[in-house]
Amino acid sequence: MMDYGYSEEGRQASLGDLQLWRRILHFSAPYKLGLFGAVVISLFITWATLTLPYLVQTAIDGSITATQLPSAERVAGLARNALFYGAIIIGVFFASFFQILVLEWVGQWVMHGVRQSLFSHLLHLDLPFFNTRRTGQLVTRLTNDIQNMNEMFTSVIVTLFNDLLRLLGILVLLFWMNPPLAALMSIFVPVALIITIFFAQLARERFRAIRSQLAKLNSFLSETLSGIGILQLFGRQETSRRTFEDLSAGYLHRTLSQIRLFGTFMPLTEFLSSAAVALILWYGGGEVLQQRLTLGELVAFISYMRLFFQPLRELSQKYSIVQSAMASAERIFQLLDTKSIIDQTLTPVTIANLQGKLEFRNLLFGYEPNNLVLHDISFTLRPGQTVALVGTTGSGKTTLVSLLLRFYDPQEGQILIDDRDIATLDLKQLRTLVGVILQDVFILQDTLLANIIMDTGCGRQQVEEILTRTGMDRFVNKLPHGLDTPIGDGGTELSTGEKQLLSFARVLCRNPAILVLDEATAAIDTESENILEQAIADSFQGRTSLIIAHRLSTIRRADHIIVMARGKIVEQGSHEELLSHNGHYALLVAMDLQNGH
Amino acid sequence: MNINTSRLDSKDGNRRIPFTQLRDLLLPAFRRYRLRILGGLAALIIVDFLQLIIPRFIKQGVDALEALTVTPSGLLRLAGIIVLIAVFVVFLRFTWRYLIIGFSRLLEQMVRNQIFAHILKMDAQFFEKRTTGDLMAHSSNDLSAVQMACGMGVVAAVDALVMSLAAIGFMIAIHPLLTLLALLPMPFLAFTTRVLSAKLHKRFATVQEEFSELTEFSRSNLISIGLIKAYTMEAFQTDRFDRLGKRYVRSNLRVAVIQGLITPLATLVGSTGMLMVLYFGGCLVIEKTITLGDFVAFITYLYMLIWPMMAIGWVANLVQRGLTSLDRIYGLVTSQSTLPDPIFEKEPERFAQPGFRLTDLTFTYPSGKSPVLHNLTLNLDPGMHGVTGRTGSGKSTLCQLLVRLQPLADGMLLFGGMEVNHLPLAFTRSHIGYVSQEPILFSDTIAANISFGRPDAGREDIIRAAASAAIHDDIMTLKEGYDTLIGERGVKLSGGQRQRLALARALLCNRPVLIIDDGLSAVDVATEHEVFAGLKRHFHGKTVVIVSNRIKLLSMTDHIIVLADGTVQSEGNHEHLLATNSLYQSMFTKQMQQDSQEEVVLP
Repeated sequence: MMDYGYSEEGRQASLGDLQLWRRILHFSAPYKLGLFGAVVISLFITWATLTLPYLVQTAIDGSITATQLPSAERVAGLARNALFYGAIIIGVFFASFFQILVLEWVGQWVMHGVRQSLFSHLLHLDLPFFNTRRTGQLVTRLTNDIQNMNEMFTSVIVTLFNDLLRLLGILVLLFWMNPPLAALMSIFVPVALIITIFFAQLARERFRAIRSQLAKLNSFLSETLSGIGILQLFGRQETSRRTFEDLSAGYLHRTLSQIRLFGTFMPLTEFLSSAAVALILWYGGGEVLQQRLTLGELVAFISYMRLFFQPLRELSQKYSIVQSAMASAERIFQLLDTKSIIDQTLTPVTIANLQGKLEFRNLLFGYEPNNLVLHDISFTLRPGQTVALVGTTGSGKTTLVSLLLRFYDPQEGQILIDDRDIATLDLKQLRTLVGVILQDVFILQDTLLANIIMDTGCGRQQVEEILTRTGMDRFVNKLPHGLDTPIGDGGTELSTGEKQLLSFARVLCRNPAILVLDEATAAIDTESENILEQAIADSFQGRTSLIIAHRLSTIRRADHIIVMARGKIVEQGSHEELLSHNGHYALLVAMDLQNGH
Repeated sequence: MNINTSRLDSKDGNRRIPFTQLRDLLLPAFRRYRLRILGGLAALIIVDFLQLIIPRFIKQGVDALEALTVTPSGLLRLAGIIVLIAVFVVFLRFTWRYLIIGFSRLLEQMVRNQIFAHILKMDAQFFEKRTTGDLMAHSSNDLSAVQMACGMGVVAAVDALVMSLAAIGFMIAIHPLLTLLALLPMPFLAFTTRVLSAKLHKRFATVQEEFSELTEFSRSNLISIGLIKAYTMEAFQTDRFDRLGKRYVRSNLRVAVIQGLITPLATLVGSTGMLMVLYFGGCLVIEKTITLGDFVAFITYLYMLIWPMMAIGWVANLVQRGLTSLDRIYGLVTSQSTLPDPIFEKEPERFAQPGFRLTDLTFTYPSGKSPVLHNLTLNLDPGMHGVTGRTGSGKSTLCQLLVRLQPLADGMLLFGGMEVNHLPLAFTRSHIGYVSQEPILFSDTIAANISFGRPDAGREDIIRAAASAAIHDDIMTLKEGYDTLIGERGVKLSGGQRQRLALARALLCNRPVLIIDDGLSAVDVATEHEVFAGLKRHFHGKTVVIVSNRIKLLSMTDHIIVLADGTVQSEGNHEHLLATNSLYQSMFTKQMQQDSQEEVVLP
């Protein structure tokens, strides 16, 4: 359910990577109006925050300390300032609120766009890609990395932009009021920045250490929880308690070191702020004494300095967020740039009036180039013919199906449907033409009906018709609410046999020209087995079908049997022929009879 | 889902202060680290006072400047004092942070270890009620809520209290009425922060829930990418993902509305106080009631109050959340195992060849309405026993009862002639080797997984056990052989390989009882048969219970029990059942029919 502390050796993306910024901006292009609005609001907020101390200052200088004026006029001047002050703070309130909303709105929708294109891109990548990647990592890209990027839009752009603008504004104001004092104050900027960046980098390392330890702790915990029974039965509680305490102590150790780091750096900015005030009091005070600075300006200086250090403190936090967001963005874009090895042809051929002839021609294939899994496989299925593939695990049967679906391309040779190379077909069309019933099934958290129909657009009636015809309605009727039974997580759990039945129903709904069945290896309950047998008998009639068979009842139904071993075809023929050959097939049968009863 | 349930059972935790929980869970840590806490609090309070003193010096300076009674050297002295105080503050801030936040981490660790040690003692019924996700949440979210409350919560509460009292005190000393005016908007801030952050918490929980949904959706799709492609579900699933994503965006925006209110609101309230001071305070200066220095110091104190006011609302939520979490953790660590675990006065002698005797055994799962097993009377003496029956007939439950994962009433089960409830769990279990239906392995090397029950076993013993379970050859094909890491970060094994490893693990223990709950179901019939034929000698004199639906395996046993709807339908040897039991007959016919020809395909 959760991704406990995602710790990845992130690449140090540089903030100045223009290429990256350009791509991020590209995704935000549709929302430029919103972004523009946010910038305008930002300018207003900056102006307003800087005006407030100025209003106090002019109130002090122009009214409060203007002893030469009559009291009534001084109070009236004060009231004007106060009124203006009140108007601005209300304005700031609304502006800040809208700014946060607008940026969140933009950020969320941009991220939604990125997430969608990444998801769709991933689903369209080919299987060789997935063989080299860990699912967890890809999921992290889709979730945590995108979340990270989103941080940039919401918290970072607001604060970074506002803060930088404010820093700049304050500096300008200070220089306008009193250049020498301002110049003195600006010493603090590089000091604070260096401390900040140094701290951000250290903090990042500590955070990573903490997160990776937490991930270890949590994965140990989750493993323990899922194996608790075994753990207790084998009497290993004490050992695992010790391991856990070690991990826990390691975590504590790392958090304490982080606390020390924060304890050192957090007070430093406070210190700088106090030091700046002291400096203003000493130097500025001297200036006041020499009448080069008014008292109001001195007070304003002190207020501005406070405003000055707040953004600096925040910058240190945001700095690491931006950095990690950039790293995330880089990883995401890298993934988006990954291309499938399997080329989708640009000018796909469409086959009209499909006959259903299927030919495997001189196939040579290995998942790794120098480790061949299939050696020169050739055979042909005539339209309507049923062929059974038989062989031990690892003989290459499943690989053949993967090639037929173009999950991989063969090193040599071709697969042809109606004499057309499948590489020239549109992938989607190919996979619609060839219906596969696999051992495993992907279950949507939905009703059984939705799981059968998916995106085929079949109606309920049609589904019922298919189910009745193939006898699979018996399986549906067993479920508490028939077709409307929710299945998947939190719904009814399906057995292996029932899953295969679902898979069957799904494929029949699509009415494919060629059927491929990967029969369940595991024992399935007798009831499902009976239903399945009937369904097979019914739907393979007159349809080109290829079966990876594990049951003799199925094998015997085939017109032709191909025996495979170690990636080669070793024998083929009908059941009787093969038995009379007294070869591979017959030997296996004989061996089994010996073992049996 | 998990979040919902935990929210529900936390309801009553909000109403009262759970004193027992505080005492039992937190007091030991507070007592153990009392000096640390006291030191930290002292540092914190001193920091607060020093911070309040700085404006006094600023006031002095400004007043002196206005009255032109100050010399440059006097100014330098003032500035020097401020810097000196600031240095001292840096040091003290480090101290309180290290002591108090450090304490919260120490406390977190103590409670975490306590939770884990407790979980290890719990029985199957406990784990049936609580999912792994729930328990993980306890040890991460709940624990960090408690940690936050005891760390930053304590700091913020003390800090806010001291700062606000002192700042208000100073302000009153300057001018009481002006203080009242300046503070008028503050309670409003404390109140709204509290309301808003409670609401924020709720909306944020929704966001998190949807985030995990998104994660789960992506995970399940990517993990079955082959299936998605085979059924050309790419566009279909992208659509579904889009719907989830849009819902997630909307929930995030709902959070943003609140988040967008909190900070600007605080600023607004703070500035309103400032406005009051500007106007009324300014008037007071004009009337010469207060000095300009008072006025400036007043503004500084007001700034100091904004944070404590915000903190009050924040702390209240933090503490409440901490207490709720504490309540949940307390419920966890005080839950009792339903399995009695008596302690022997002196270690009893181990049973040489124990068997089980079941008398009228009836068992119902806590969540179930009707018994899964009823009135089971059976003798499982040394020898091989096969158990078979349809799905749901109670085979696995029987195994769980035998290995003492589920509780039983007295008088239903004797082990080695003794009432099981009178035997310590560890003692009983140390006699039993168990192979579960779902092979559970751990992220470690293959060798360590096999020697799980006997960590001291030598490599030869491990290899022998692996060979008996027909997994040795598979292991040797791996690059690092027995030292190959498996699990999350290691090599992925097939279901059949995992099952054979689990069998090797049980065999290595060489315990007098072996219970195999359909333990080789993912292995083909021929291999399974071969493994057990090889083990027959090994099983001599032991009580072996094998659950299976494969006739070939069952026929090897001395005694077969056919379970139907939780009772013994029939028992006897293969021939007997073949002659008398219709279920067994039909299984036989069906399997022989396939068998005689079919298994050709499987090896």
